[in-house]
Amino acid sequence: MSLLLTILAAGAITYATRASFIIAADRVALPASIERSLKYVAPAAFAAIAAPPTLGGDQFVEFSDDIPRIIAVLLAGVVIAKTRSVPLSLFTGMSALWLILWIS
Amino acid sequence: MTKFSFDRKAFWAGFRDVIPLAVPGIPFGFVLGVVIAESGLDQFVAWLSSPIVLAGASQLAAIELLAESTSAAVVLVTVAFINSRHLMYSAVLRPTFSGFPRWFKIVGPYVLLDQAFALAITQPNDTDDRTRMWHFLGSGAFLWLMWMTSTGAGVAVGDIIKPEWQLSFAVPLLFGGLMVISITNRAGIIAAVVGGIVAVLGTDLPQGSGVLLAIVLGVAAGGFAETHLEAAPEATS
Repeated sequence: MSLLLTILAAGAITYATRASFIIAADRVALPASIERSLKYVAPAAFAAIAAPPTLGGDQFVEFSDDIPRIIAVLLAGVVIAKTRSVPLSLFTGMSALWLILWIS
Repeated sequence: MTKFSFDRKAFWAGFRDVIPLAVPGIPFGFVLGVVIAESGLDQFVAWLSSPIVLAGASQLAAIELLAESTSAAVVLVTVAFINSRHLMYSAVLRPTFSGFPRWFKIVGPYVLLDQAFALAITQPNDTDDRTRMWHFLGSGAFLWLMWMTSTGAGVAVGDIIKPEWQLSFAVPLLFGGLMVISITNRAGIIAAVVGGIVAVLGTDLPQGSGVLLAIVLGVAAGGFAETHLEAAPEATS
């Protein structure tokens, strides 16, 4: 029972983070400087999600372990910059990683 | 027909458009399911975290902590830190959603996953509100179904996805790509670089607070750079 209660509380917290500004909509006003900076949430957040598993975080000791993943991410980045296609960049990145791991 | 009546075309377009963004989450859903199955917790109740919390990274952290009999307070603080990025997503989408119906403002945030956010902010500027709203809900519907089935399958079927396949790498690959798409000027590059570096350095910070710190510092760096690069020409439009 306490497990379910903890999960319900975790759900309430998560929902609150997602709903906060959307529900409050017109009743809150953010300072103009913050409102302007919000367009950097997406690049900062997506980089913060992508970087640790690419660079291994604390799971890998050797930097050389990261090199295949770094190459794959860079290739996928070039593909998406040129084509704007998520499926194509995923295909490129995964193929590159598999190929590098297979030949090395 | 009211202003926000059901738009079948937009709903299914959202449902389809999010598929490439959702697919990398499937192996992760499986992994979470396996962790739930092996946690020693009541499997069904632990799986209920999928419909109740609907946020993978925080679910994984919470289940692992609960399996170690960590106190509820520590679990909840961890969940709050990991999901604090949604607070910023919510702030970003506030102006976009401000004219939407009340029921949407209550239901919509439930499916505000990273991928739904990424799709919502990349819709063309001239998209009308009705299309935008049903497109968002369509993407949320697919993400919801994908998450329920992949985590459920992980619990039921177990560990059939081998680590050697490197499928978990699809997640950083996806978000690396979304990062590239979301960068529109030089300040955006600075925001991404700061966010990425701080996140890597902050991996060991307690309760997953490193990601929050990374995003806050990244956004601040982006805003600062914009002010100081303003005179310089933008890298792209």
